[in-house]
Amino acid sequence: MKAGDALPPLERTITIADMVAYAGATWDHHRMHYDRQVSEAAGLPGPVVDGQALGALMAEQLIDHLGPRAFITHLSFRFRSMVFAGETVRCEAEVTEVGEEHVSTEHKVTVGERVAATGSARVRL
Amino acid sequence: MTLLTDEIRTHIGREVVYTANEEVGRAAIRYFARAMGDDNPLYRDPAYARDHGFDDVVAPPTFVCESNQFVELPPDPDGYAGHTWGLPVDHLAAIRGGNAYEFHRHLRPDDLVTTTWRLVDITERTTSAGEAMLVVTSEVTYTDASGEPIARNTETLIYKERK
Repeated sequence: MKAGDALPPLERTITIADMVAYAGATWDHHRMHYDRQVSEAAGLPGPVVDGQALGALMAEQLIDHLGPRAFITHLSFRFRSMVFAGETVRCEAEVTEVGEEHVSTEHKVTVGERVAATGSARVRL
Repeated sequence: MTLLTDEIRTHIGREVVYTANEEVGRAAIRYFARAMGDDNPLYRDPAYARDHGFDDVVAPPTFVCESNQFVELPPDPDGYAGHTWGLPVDHLAAIRGGNAYEFHRHLRPDDLVTTTWRLVDITERTTSAGEAMLVVTSEVTYTDASGEPIARNTETLIYKERK
């Protein structure tokens, strides 16, 4: 592994059923995440995926690739645009630095051409 | 017109502490992984976890920072049941800015989590389009029953005038 290497991308379609499950699992039952009446009233094309779920996907992509003993010490992300129910997100990650016992990465989550989130992480190997 | 009023400014520095009702539990960990579509056996199979040097299953990395499980609050009219600062910003629209997580160790099923929210700063900025916005920065720490740190989360919320 060296700087510039790409991690295998992770793609996932996030359905209303997934969003209801995530709302339950995180005890966050905000209607914006599953109720079409609420998202329509706000002028949005559909219920909005909880942004923090994108951080969970970045973490999943890292552990899938680096193995169960890898430990994420830092993960930060900024939201660039909303993701709506039924959309497919693609998580891309690139190695930016490799040390003796750690690796640093940069992340981008896209829906088609649209950037939904960007982030960075540091993982202890 | 300034969005950052003296009344809003008085909230800077507030701190609120929540202690979970019970330990995390294996089922909550498996439910979160399942909801995310993460099929890693580290989060559901104790034998697999032991084979990889753990005492038991552990939680997916970001779970501790994403769940309201450790904060027992009644849902608001929108259904939201997590921590809020109750700032007088009903006239503004809230948008998530981002999160910065720092992890000290894995969250385990037997952890009893205490969550401490601190409102570290509120600033007013102008967007590239010339709109005023409030940037609210909270720092959240998650500690175990011994007071040892599990994780820290710096969260940014942005409030803009409704269009």
